[in-house]
Amino acid sequence: MGSVLFDPYLIVLIFITTVLGVMIGVLPGLGATTGAALLLPFTLTMQPVHAIAVLATIYVSATFAGSITAILINTPGTSAAAATTFDGYPLAKRGEAGRALGVAVVSSTIGGVFSIIILCIAAPMLARVAYEFRPPEYFALALFGLSMLASISAGGTVRNLIGGVFGVWLATIGAEPTTGIERFMFGNYELYEGLAFVPVFIGLFAMSELLIQSNRVNQLANKITMKAVKLPSREDYRRIWKTVLRSCGIGTFIGVLPAEGATVASMIGYAEARRWSKNKDEFGKGAIEGIAGAEAANNAATGGAMVPTMVLGIPGSGTTAVILVGLMVHGLRPGPYLFTEQVDTVYQIFGAMLLANLLFMAMGLYAAKLFARISLVPLQLLWPVVFALATIGAYALSSSLLDVWIALIFGVIGFLARRHGFAVAPIAVGLILGEMVETNFQNSLKMFEGDWWQILTQPLAALFLVLAFLGLFSSSIANWFSRRRS
Amino acid sequence: MEALFAPVIRLLVIPGIIAAFSVAVICVALQLELSPPMIVGDSLQPRVFPILLMVINLVLASLLVFQYRREPPKKIQWEGIQTWGSIALFLIFYPITVYIDMMIAIAVVMFAMCLLWGERRIHVAGALALATPTVIFFLFDKALRVRFPRGLLTNWYYG
Repeated sequence: MGSVLFDPYLIVLIFITTVLGVMIGVLPGLGATTGAALLLPFTLTMQPVHAIAVLATIYVSATFAGSITAILINTPGTSAAAATTFDGYPLAKRGEAGRALGVAVVSSTIGGVFSIIILCIAAPMLARVAYEFRPPEYFALALFGLSMLASISAGGTVRNLIGGVFGVWLATIGAEPTTGIERFMFGNYELYEGLAFVPVFIGLFAMSELLIQSNRVNQLANKITMKAVKLPSREDYRRIWKTVLRSCGIGTFIGVLPAEGATVASMIGYAEARRWSKNKDEFGKGAIEGIAGAEAANNAATGGAMVPTMVLGIPGSGTTAVILVGLMVHGLRPGPYLFTEQVDTVYQIFGAMLLANLLFMAMGLYAAKLFARISLVPLQLLWPVVFALATIGAYALSSSLLDVWIALIFGVIGFLARRHGFAVAPIAVGLILGEMVETNFQNSLKMFEGDWWQILTQPLAALFLVLAFLGLFSSSIANWFSRRRS
Repeated sequence: MEALFAPVIRLLVIPGIIAAFSVAVICVALQLELSPPMIVGDSLQPRVFPILLMVINLVLASLLVFQYRREPPKKIQWEGIQTWGSIALFLIFYPITVYIDMMIAIAVVMFAMCLLWGERRIHVAGALALATPTVIFFLFDKALRVRFPRGLLTNWYYG
């Protein structure tokens, strides 16, 4: 990890990317996932470690930066900062914006650093277990990852699963790996290798958000002026330290779960902060525990989400789905072998994330006011620039105009889906996991000579399938029990 | 009569579209070639997995109907001209890129989008539409060494 400090090019890159990440996080509608998808094409000619460090840095810094506008203009820059508005904005309206931001900065940094320490410990341990995985285990794990889509907050269980199934179907486009039979190509041989992930992601996240934002052009934001960010006082630290520690654990755990991410973590972190607080009445009116709980959890989720992404190839969140694509594009195969064959690269990436956490703390404390002004860029000037970046970025991957059309088509599909209450993250996760599900199921059938039920006789596979069942039905079972009790 | 049917129609439109899409995919999948048994062996024919997915989708679409009955979907507020105009600009982008030039297409769409979204300063919209693709083009060309598709401007630049 320390080798990061001996690579001046990497340090400069991390600094620039942290600034970019904070700018992206501050702009409502952009967010870590869209930002990473837009920047991915720019990393194509970088060395793998620099490219992944860029994407991971965007993730970490954009996740934090959403709190700046959440507190100052009651508009979270990223969905992970939505819970921060509940108490951050009321506190700012009372003239304590500097204090609110100070609590957010410190809590985010502690959450981020905590989760990276856990990442460094847990990832190699999980990698050792993952060596034992064979096709049945990977198949069951991919199903578990898909089942977790049911509980992503936006969309609702059934709609998220429909999105996930659609994503898995998209992965079947192209030549079938074993037999070479062409599926759903309709004579277009550019689709032989299947749909490229990057243009689909650019469409689903950036282009669809462009269309969503087109409807918000005339909305005015209530801006709070702020003198300076203030570090929490001793009394504030006394009030929030337990909340921060608790949210660090919550956020890291939620981040490790496939397909969950910073948004879910921040909501649960906030809810738990309220539950354990002695001053519940203050929540919603400017409780610093609320800000601390949400912000520590959302940044703790960033490190946690990298665990399944790098060790198992299962994205821990929407943004890590983009990072996973980045790993594959740069020839780094996610999985246990990454921790034996490329261990230096892995720890340099962890080091980059740690450095980014410290950098955004400094930026948050000394430059939050400046970054907040960026959020006032008129939408009618910002989003056409995003359009240009997105189209050229989609083209740059394979120098193919087909990828540009794919990005535009999925932009419209993503917009229509979101318009009708469907989230787009499940489609992205389904696309990534689709090949893993089908290929490993096929290989399992070959292993067991067609007896698919033998998958259930493998202990780890059975465990993942039980977790998948719980992931799908836990909320319905919990509702049923509570109805019976009442 | 309309008031009676409107809620029912709203319940069924989205599940209906999903079901129709699933049936269409199943029909296409049934046309896929069958692989010889000695290649497939104990695994599945290429058509089976997509069909299985669409059957799951049909089940989910029916569950969606029940969900919508319990919690009816919100009435959609129709978006303004900015949104539908932006989608139209996506369509216009295609012929300009293919028949004229990609950078010109980006500049035209950017300029039109700025004005469509309410930018009144034409000089600002114009400067942004000219500067952005220019900067990005040179960034990708010089730093990332990406070759852009041949068109009016790129033919002149690449020679």
